[in-house]
This record gives sequence, structure tokens and C-alpha cells, in this order.
Amino acid sequence: MTTQTDDGRLRLTILGGYLGSGKTTWLRHQLFEGHFPAAHILVNEAALTPVDDTLLAAQAASMTLLVGGCACCTGKEDLIAALRALCDTRSRQSAKARGSNHIILETSGLADPAAILTAIQSDGVLVHHIRAVQTIVLVDALHAVKQLHSEHLSRAQIEAADRIILTKVDTVTDPTLAAVKSTVKQLNPGAKIEAAAKGLAVCLPNLPEAKAYALPLLSDGTAPILPTRIEIPPDVDWATFSVWLSALLYARGDDLVRVKGVFDTPAGPLLLQAVRKSVQPPERLPTADHDHRNQIVFIGRGYESEDLRNSLAYFRGKSSATI
Amino acid sequence: MCNACGFPTRPGHWTDAGADNAGDRLRLQMRRAQILNRLLNSYGLSARPPGHGPGFALSSFTGRTALLPDLEAVWEEAARQIGAPIDPLAPRFTAAPAAPQ
Repeated sequence: MTTQTDDGRLRLTILGGYLGSGKTTWLRHQLFEGHFPAAHILVNEAALTPVDDTLLAAQAASMTLLVGGCACCTGKEDLIAALRALCDTRSRQSAKARGSNHIILETSGLADPAAILTAIQSDGVLVHHIRAVQTIVLVDALHAVKQLHSEHLSRAQIEAADRIILTKVDTVTDPTLAAVKSTVKQLNPGAKIEAAAKGLAVCLPNLPEAKAYALPLLSDGTAPILPTRIEIPPDVDWATFSVWLSALLYARGDDLVRVKGVFDTPAGPLLLQAVRKSVQPPERLPTADHDHRNQIVFIGRGYESEDLRNSLAYFRGKSSATI
Repeated sequence: MCNACGFPTRPGHWTDAGADNAGDRLRLQMRRAQILNRLLNSYGLSARPPGHGPGFALSSFTGRTALLPDLEAVWEEAARQIGAPIDPLAPRFTAAPAAPQ
């Protein structure tokens, strides 16, 4: 379990987004503005000829390049080895010699951030040395509609994000931007949505109300995502809930895109976050924070909202009518 | 790690959070075994605290027992023995008007 204080682990930010969504441009500008001071940058490119490193080299304090394989699949072993090497170097340094404890991983445009997160959390060494703090996903406002219509990967990337940045917003009209924003919001209602143009943060204007694009079912048969918020009744304790959620994630983890919420436990309120089958180590929140206590949001597909409530009712041994 | 049983082999399963002291941990483990049994008994399985550390001992009706480090491993072993994962969203759990106590 982690607390919000510095626990000595390296902080990892995953920066993802579809091919050409502007990851390097955005990151370069962030570094230029001093947003990730002295962070170590890991750049992954699926192609064998790297380009991004030359763009970033001037701004980055230190950098590792992983080429010739996407870090979520073929290049996974290289990524794990590179992260282990970083942890190893850091643990040999004295506390004074250590620089920033932040790593930023710029994934290739073909990577699923959730798969990378799972790979790190299932590695026996990295799980003790690295804590994934944020997944930022960039969405190209100009091409998003086309990509979301045809590519399952571009949907999966958005679903895995904590923070979504719409890029190239200066190239689209307000109604288009509004529709893209609604579509992204529908795919991942829990994420914070921001905007940028050429790496520069842009305040999202007061956009007109727009309907989300109706995304077609893809050939892999994925149904649309459905967000469900469940208020946990007071008699459901942490033991019941954790048994239920662990069973749910084991059986339905691939359908549950995101689970997020705060649960009261004997040790204090815990922030629970899961992306598919991978659950992040719960973070303990200050006890004074009473907002959204015992409310859990499930974002997933392949079930009815009522099923979740009925099932939890079964686990606690009560009729569902009271949930 | 316990030299006798090798547990916990991978500390830090998310369900381990939520209990700070030994009393809370034990209480949580007992209560979880109780809830697990409410489900597992109908599949001919039963779970109990192994008595020497974290995790559960999962026994089939033949008495064959597996020592498992955490809840995820329990679901994995149950799925292996039953032949399919126990799905909390299966009709038997979602359609029941009231659960057996």
C-alpha cells in the first residue's frame, strides 16, 4: 500500500497516444516550460530508425531510447530491462547524488498504456521500485474521428487514460472539437480532458453542446462502454467488497476498462484504481477527505448496470432492492 | 518471507491494503474466508485461513488442499478446478432475489 508521502519509489508517467497524435511535440514543450524538472525520459519507438530522441535531446535531462519494438508487446522485455537498469542505478546512488525521481515514458503510437502498466506491476522487482502516477493520452482532434471509427487501439488508449489532452485543436472548428470532446468523454468519463496546440496548453473554449459520434462496433465485437456509479451501502465492508471486486476483475477484467473510487477500510479511506485486470496499489487518502466516499465508478462493457448492483447484493447476502 | 511455506511470495497484492495492524489483518482474513465460503461451497470448494500467514487454504470436497497467497490466486485455482472462472455477473448471482445466508 502507498501513501501520498515520498515512499522512495520512482514516479512513472506514461505518455501515450495514437500514431501522429503529437506526443513528442507536447512533451518537448512541457520540458521546455520546465514542467517535469530533471525527469528521466524513456522514448519507445516501434520502428528501427529513431527520430524522437533527436527532437527531445536538447530539452531532456537524461534519456533512454528503446527502438525496434512496441513496449506493450514485442519490446516489453527491453522496457522492463531499461526500467530495471534505472532502478539499479538509482539504488546505487547516495541520497544526495540522486536527481529527480520522475520517469516519463513516451510510448510508441501503437502501444496500449494499460498493457505497459500491467507489465510493470507484474514484475517482481519493478513493483517495489516504481509507482505509476499518471497515464496521459494525447488525442489528435483532427484525425480522432477516423481513428476511433476504425481502430480498436485508439479507443483502448483513451480508455486507459487518467488525463486526456486533445491536440491540434487550432486546426478544427469548435463544433468538431465539441463532438470529439463528447466522444472522448463517452469513452472515458473519468478522465480529465485538456487541450493543446503545438504543445502549448490551450483553454478549452465554451464549446457548444454536441452529441458524441456514434462509434461502430468493431470486428472484435466490442460493445460500447457503459459507466456505472455504485454507492456502496454502509453494511458492505472492505472484506466483502474486496472479495467481490477481486472475483469480478478475475472473471471480467478484460471488459472492465476502468474501476475507480474511494473505499473506507479499517486503515482509512483507500483510493482504488484499476485498468482492466491490473489494480494499482491502493493509495491511502487523508481521513478528512469526505468527498465521494464509498462511491465506485465502473466503466466497462458486456453487462447491465443493474447486474453489478445485484451481484454485490448477493455477495453481501441481502436482497438487491436495498442497494 | 516464511521459510516454511514461501508465503508471501509477492507482497503487495492490492487486497492486502486496508488493514494496518495484526488484529485488523486477521479479522479481514477470517471475514473474507466466510464470504468466500458463501460462494465456493456451492461449487464443492471451501476456503479457510491457512493458520500461519496471509492467504487462504482452498480445499475441494475430496480434501485436496491448495495454499494460495491471495484472493486472485484463489479465483485462479477455483477456475482451474471448476473449469471456468467464477463470474460474479453470471445469472446465478445477478438474478437471485435473495441470497442464502
